[in-house]
Amino acid sequence: MVIGNMLDRKLLRDLWRLKWQVFAIALLIACGVSVTVMAFSAQKALMAAQDRFYEDTRFADVFAVAVRAPMSTVADLSRIDGVAMADARIMESGLMQVPGLTRPAIARVISLPRDETAGLNRVRLSQGRMPDPASLDEAVALKTFMDAAKVKLGDRLTTVIGGRAFSFRIVGAVLSPEYVFVPSPESFMPDDAHQGVFWAPRPAVERSAGLNGAFNVVAFDLAPGASVAHVLQQVDRILAPYGGRAAYAREDQVSHAFLEAELKELSTSAAVLPPVFLIVAAALVHLVVSRLVEAEREQIGLLKAFGYSDYQAAQPYLRLAGAVGVVGVIGGGLLGGWLGAAIMEQYRAYFRFPVLDPAFDWPAFLMASTASVLAALAGSAMAVRAAVRLSPAVAMQPPRPAVYRQGLLDRLVPGRAIDQASRMIVRNLERFPLRAGLTVAGLAASLSLLVGSQFVFGSFDYLVDHAYYRAQRWSDAVGFAEVRAGRSISEIRRLPGVFAAEPLRVAAARLKANGREERARVTGMEPDATLQRALDRQGRPIPFQGRGVILSAALAGRLDVAPGDSVRLDITDGAAPSVVLPVTALAEDFSGYSIYMARAELNRLMAEGDVASGAQLLVAPDLRGRFYRAIEAIPQIVAASSRDDTVSNWRKVMIEAFRVSMTFYVGFAAAIAFGVAYNTSRIALSERSRDLATLRVLGFSRRECAYILLGELLVLGLAAIPLGLLGGNALASGLVTAYSRDELRLPLTQTPASYAMSLSAFAVAILLAAVLVGRRIWGLDLVAVLKTRE
Amino acid sequence: MRGLTKVYETEAGAVHALRGVDLDIRQGEMLILLGPSGSGKSTLLNILGGLDRGSAGKVLFHDQDLTAATEHQLTLYRRRSVGFIFQFFNLVPSLTARENVALITEIADDPMTPEEALDRVGLSDRLDHFPAQLSGGQQQRVAVARAIAKRPKILLCDEPTGSLDSEAGVRVLDAIVDVAREVGATSMIVSHNVEVAAIADRVIRFRDGAITEVAENRDKRSPGEMRW
Repeated sequence: MVIGNMLDRKLLRDLWRLKWQVFAIALLIACGVSVTVMAFSAQKALMAAQDRFYEDTRFADVFAVAVRAPMSTVADLSRIDGVAMADARIMESGLMQVPGLTRPAIARVISLPRDETAGLNRVRLSQGRMPDPASLDEAVALKTFMDAAKVKLGDRLTTVIGGRAFSFRIVGAVLSPEYVFVPSPESFMPDDAHQGVFWAPRPAVERSAGLNGAFNVVAFDLAPGASVAHVLQQVDRILAPYGGRAAYAREDQVSHAFLEAELKELSTSAAVLPPVFLIVAAALVHLVVSRLVEAEREQIGLLKAFGYSDYQAAQPYLRLAGAVGVVGVIGGGLLGGWLGAAIMEQYRAYFRFPVLDPAFDWPAFLMASTASVLAALAGSAMAVRAAVRLSPAVAMQPPRPAVYRQGLLDRLVPGRAIDQASRMIVRNLERFPLRAGLTVAGLAASLSLLVGSQFVFGSFDYLVDHAYYRAQRWSDAVGFAEVRAGRSISEIRRLPGVFAAEPLRVAAARLKANGREERARVTGMEPDATLQRALDRQGRPIPFQGRGVILSAALAGRLDVAPGDSVRLDITDGAAPSVVLPVTALAEDFSGYSIYMARAELNRLMAEGDVASGAQLLVAPDLRGRFYRAIEAIPQIVAASSRDDTVSNWRKVMIEAFRVSMTFYVGFAAAIAFGVAYNTSRIALSERSRDLATLRVLGFSRRECAYILLGELLVLGLAAIPLGLLGGNALASGLVTAYSRDELRLPLTQTPASYAMSLSAFAVAILLAAVLVGRRIWGLDLVAVLKTRE
Repeated sequence: MRGLTKVYETEAGAVHALRGVDLDIRQGEMLILLGPSGSGKSTLLNILGGLDRGSAGKVLFHDQDLTAATEHQLTLYRRRSVGFIFQFFNLVPSLTARENVALITEIADDPMTPEEALDRVGLSDRLDHFPAQLSGGQQQRVAVARAIAKRPKILLCDEPTGSLDSEAGVRVLDAIVDVAREVGATSMIVSHNVEVAAIADRVIRFRDGAITEVAENRDKRSPGEMRW
């Protein structure tokens, strides 16, 4: 017991003496643990909220859209094998002026069944009340829209749907499982103020939309074990005569897909980052304990001479490593809980669940903790093993003096070309190659993390510039409820402020090649269009060639096709035949999967004559208000977007979203660089303090001594830069792959600014470590070295 | 030096390491400081070497007042004027004999070459050996070469033979005496070893922080004539 106490006391004293080194290593472990805890906890919280909300509101499994299907088909749809329930509704879109907003908002009006509690995709009331089923002018609104557009209960709004004005009073705010995340159709970014979703009793919507006894959207609840593919096929078959478009499963539902992508990203964070931290922490524990064991070799020999076993003699060092692990784990748990709560706060702004409580994932914490303590123990075990294996007699002798050799440098650099201080630096590096290697690897890992994360800002700039200033050059775009004659563009051209307008025909499609199939969007453009162009990798506009299609490079990649190959195109809007078309070129774009073709070719395929589904415009900025008021009065125009709004919203959302995660990355990377730099320099100082004090006595200034000590760190830091840049680019390309969604692919663009940001953060972390260690040179005891043997 | 006093404040109270020491040192003479452990001789050496400052009193080196010097001035003083020889050699293990000497000649104002310095201590054939490849006596002679290569005005040796056997110790003292004379340095050797006093011009005895005796050595011998 007495012995145990003695060793405990030694443990506490060592911890205190090495407190900064312990802190630096524990910080790394804490980072690893906290990322794991944060990611798994956030995932757990989101999934719990998602499960509960979907279950409470009976979120559907399959969705379909038609132009106008009679209610009698609902019975046929319900009889499809595997369908447990079908819920048919009316959904109409229009534009709407919201007081306080310049640009018109999109209004989606959805019919409520007589008994809302018996349907699918139920809304969840969070404020006010549900509309009176008999009322023709009451509606509930999506709470996110009300919050963002500053619309209050009791406000009256008017939209034009189906050619008729529909005016209603907001009586309640609701949340909906279909609109947990509401991206704007243009940018895939949330734009809540311009995304109005309203639910009104069926009679009111029916009357405005002119869909008496009919529906145009239907959702399905499937029985357990049902075949989704079979249901989709049958739904398409039944709805085909009624203008049915391709039915889709939950995984393709916009809001759900965004949520799932976010959950996947959390798993990526949890898988990529923590191992980096643990490996670096284990390496540092190894270096620190190796030095400690080296300095205490004689004590180990003494303990063994007293009759301690190898294990008992090794125990203090293993316990020290374990203690470092435990300190890190506790810090990581606290930090992870805090980060989890912080990220939950961010998610609340994106994902609207009635309840989104922060969770703490204990199993993830325990798993990360165990891995951390084991990593620390493994690091120290390797260092201690060699020392405890020595016989006591050998261990008690002072270690053999360090044997240096003339190394590579001496062969390369002639005798007097290098000063002795620099020579000392190089010889030390050559003598401890493992330590130098571990240090370079650790610093390179830190820089990689910086380079591999900071690129996103430059990439976003590139993406915005490419998408909104080079490929698309319109200032405003409008969408039609249904296709209109191409000549209607001339009406639009006459609206106030419009000085250019080009028609566009967009249709949903399935593209097949090489046995693969992808859902994509066909964009039919004018051959001489100037407001939207397909650009190649070099940014040059690509001309259309006959019937040929131009594919998004990403889509071509998924289908494994190249220019010259053919693809089978099935347009799912309307009744176009299935055709095989040649691919003539690939376009570089970053959002969605597009098939570009000449509008005339698309119209010919669909046999609809000269029609357009929307138009892209140049609108004079000072006349924008008048332009908007004019299009609000045109019932056929159901969507309006502005490039400036889209870009500024994009920037706002992205910067907000990435500011937090990039702050984590910078913080974590700085922690690694600091931890590695501090520990290596601190160890170097403890080994060389006698040499340095001797040099001080011999007339070296503190600055010159600092150079000898920290020059090594400088060399290692410089050596880490090329490796870190290479690793960072590899990490960036991995992250681009991992984080790319169908809706948004990040281009891998490294800019001088992002490199500069990474290198500065890297340099600052190393400099901080250098200053902390360098300060100790000022406190060297010069007198002591005169009398002590090493 | 006049009235040199050094008091260390410790938890156990004030320790008087030097109690008002007065001493004049002549250019080029060889002084031996004798005295038991804790008598204050090393403290005196440290203050003379610019490693420490007295608590009271004055130390003048030529016209420079060491007691009033800044840290930077003391660093320059050590760099230009003082040669140090330590009991445990304190060579830089990662540098060869030549490089250990070059370490100092690179920062000195008017040094001899490392080869010349090592030649003077009889180590011309060990230029490219690392400390670990040299015997204790050879290492200490490298230290002597390192100390005198800058042509110091004052050479301070703290128990230079303390960790050497008699034969090696004699060779080291021989080297110190010879090269100190050649460069005209004033030498001060702190020692436990009474025998060493034979090579001095003057012998100073210390006890309890004060000089008890300053004796001229009328029978000065060369180190080669000594044995211990």
